[in-house]
Amino acid sequence: MVNSNADALGIIFPNSYDGLVPELVADRLMASIPFAGRYRMIDFVLSSMVNNGIDNVSVIVRKNYHSLMDHLGSGREWDLTRKNGGLNIVPPFAQKNVKVYNGRVEALASVLNFLKRQKEKYVIMSDANIAVNFDFSAFLEQHIKSGADVTVAYIEQEIPKSMIEAEMDFSAYYYTLELENGRVNNIKINSKASGVQNFSMNIYAVDRELLIDQIRQATVRGYIFYERDILSPHLVTLNVQGYKYEGYYARISGMNSYFEENMKMLDDANVDALFANPIYTKIRDDNPTRYIPGSRVKNIMAADGCVIEGEVENCVLFRGVKIGKGAKVKNCVLMQDTVVEPGAEIEYLISDKNVVISEGKQLKGTDTFQVFVEKGKHV
Amino acid sequence: MAKEMIAMLLAGGQGSRLYALTQKLAKPAVPFGGKYRIIDFPLSNCVNSGIDTVGILTQYQPLVLNEYIGNGQPWDLDRLYGGVHVLPPYQQASGSDWYKGTANAIYQNISFIERYDPKYVIILSGDQICKQDYSDFLKFHKEKGAEFSVAVMEVPWDEAPRFGLMVTDENDKITEFQEKPKNPKSNLASMGIYIFNWDILKQYLEEDEADPNSENDFGNNIIPNLLRDNRTMYAYRFSGYWKDVGTISSLWEANMEVLDPEHSGINLFDEDWKIYSRNSGMTGHKIGADAVVENSMITDGCRISGEVKHSILFAGVQVEEGAKVEDAVVMGGSVIKAGAVVEHCIIAENVVIGENAKVGAMPDSESDGVATVGSGVYIGDGAKIGPKAMVNKNVKDGEEEW
Repeated sequence: MVNSNADALGIIFPNSYDGLVPELVADRLMASIPFAGRYRMIDFVLSSMVNNGIDNVSVIVRKNYHSLMDHLGSGREWDLTRKNGGLNIVPPFAQKNVKVYNGRVEALASVLNFLKRQKEKYVIMSDANIAVNFDFSAFLEQHIKSGADVTVAYIEQEIPKSMIEAEMDFSAYYYTLELENGRVNNIKINSKASGVQNFSMNIYAVDRELLIDQIRQATVRGYIFYERDILSPHLVTLNVQGYKYEGYYARISGMNSYFEENMKMLDDANVDALFANPIYTKIRDDNPTRYIPGSRVKNIMAADGCVIEGEVENCVLFRGVKIGKGAKVKNCVLMQDTVVEPGAEIEYLISDKNVVISEGKQLKGTDTFQVFVEKGKHV
Repeated sequence: MAKEMIAMLLAGGQGSRLYALTQKLAKPAVPFGGKYRIIDFPLSNCVNSGIDTVGILTQYQPLVLNEYIGNGQPWDLDRLYGGVHVLPPYQQASGSDWYKGTANAIYQNISFIERYDPKYVIILSGDQICKQDYSDFLKFHKEKGAEFSVAVMEVPWDEAPRFGLMVTDENDKITEFQEKPKNPKSNLASMGIYIFNWDILKQYLEEDEADPNSENDFGNNIIPNLLRDNRTMYAYRFSGYWKDVGTISSLWEANMEVLDPEHSGINLFDEDWKIYSRNSGMTGHKIGADAVVENSMITDGCRISGEVKHSILFAGVQVEEGAKVEDAVVMGGSVIKAGAVVEHCIIAENVVIGENAKVGAMPDSESDGVATVGSGVYIGDGAKIGPKAMVNKNVKDGEEEW
């Protein structure tokens, strides 16, 4: 068969690191957190997969996934409405004892039969907490060339403080790698080391047959975590290679990082890097954004559908945000359909969807601690 | 299963008066209002009115239009039975022919219409900006027991001689049709939107085709023939926003009216009557720290570092530092380089306006022309384009074009 596509299928774990941003995932999961004006976190890894010819993608959801189902729909926007492969959303299977998976192993165990039936030689796994325009082709090529059993992508960066300080909850496990000539010889869990580390992106390439074998054995032994229970103890026999990622990325590791990563979009160079290849998202058919006489804007990113009558400076406005007359909005991230009524003054504020800041209201956070207004609230 | 009503959209017009804008695309594909194309309006009206089957009759420069329509998904017109179909002229056993006129275009597609066995057919025009509920129009048609209805607009009497006019009795029954008359008897102008009972339409199309002297045109032939036979014909009064954007100045004006929905009546912000379009898929637009944006519409992918006043910018337009854009319509992907001044004009898609170049001029007592730059054109650094110019070829650095 002629195969113009990658010989790999994709698996995305959309709930990973939910625990780092409890405010944002009250009604959703990491993958459906709005980001950069008109996207959701999953759009980046999903579009990257599609752009690299991976057109058989499974999303193994754990909980709070309604918003993600709504966002992904049939997968059409990502060109994943396919007869063969395409987008496959796997909800927790209601068995005799409904049990929600905890670690990657349990999640993969629930799709083991599916994995057995697929034809792709490789599996690529990823979380959705990093917005990145990832070159999966180069990643897979290295995996194949190096003859590795497993390849894991990492970034040389410091571990975000918010992750070090997070509760030792399974959803906040993070991994740093010790490498020798590219081969991983130690995986540290929740290291508190300071300075630049080889910080895992939790993006993996692995031979499908090997993965099935690993999961089968791990399930028998009651293992839960892929990194802790499968990779880490077997680094002597298992050839795990590192793949250094050096491009732009936005890792959501807490509320403050969510704010900062959005704000970084105000720098054109960052936008150009993150959107070097197209990132697809759900279409909303908004009209263009309208700047009404009397509005004043400086240094903003705004999606379609906004109506701006007031003053806006250093802000990221998502689709359909309305800024009333005389309102002053500075250093804010306002998600879809936020309404700032006339005369309101807000600074360092993150508003979730459908928030209303009422007339004349003043709300101010600081650059290190932003005021957060939860979804649908009128304040 | 029969469909109650299907739509046939006449999109074959060359749009010769839009010259520089329609060199490579049909008039209905001309961009409008920041992120739309003209054809988005009739298509969205169809869907919003409950019409799920639309035939689009094309013949002039159809490539852009075909690609744009695709499978009709952006308008929710990708249907198992019905949906949107692009209908160019095609070879038949009896030979093939271009569409000779509007009526002939429908005649050549009788077999398409019959696949859906409709009771009514609505004929739409692909060169108007209008938000209209066709289901209201159909209701009127049925209530009057009409065989043919035409949507009409009241126009000022002094402008009436420019239009095709429907003379009616007190019940809006049409008694006479005047095509651009010197002495108008009515000020009800035809909008070129018709509802026919399909059996009547088919009968008159066949009769018209058999007449070798016919121009095969709805206005010149079909409607006069219906009148001759005393058919039950009614005029449906429409009072919303309607604009024929067949000329550069009317296209520019309609775009400017989008900026003032409170007064112009063209509200693109209506959640209950959305206009759908194929999206650019670009990121949100950016407005720089030293940019000035006033009274404008800006869409995804734009990067503004200069000054933008009372203008409409389509997807991916860049306005560099020190550049000035005022009273302008700048279509997708165009770049206004540093220090350039762009005023009172239409810049088509993927144009580059060089540094310190000047395009158009604000209207004064001598001239109120709308300068037009065709798609893909490069205007060199320091070049000058006069307010009446229509530019379709690259202009070198420092050259002038009037």
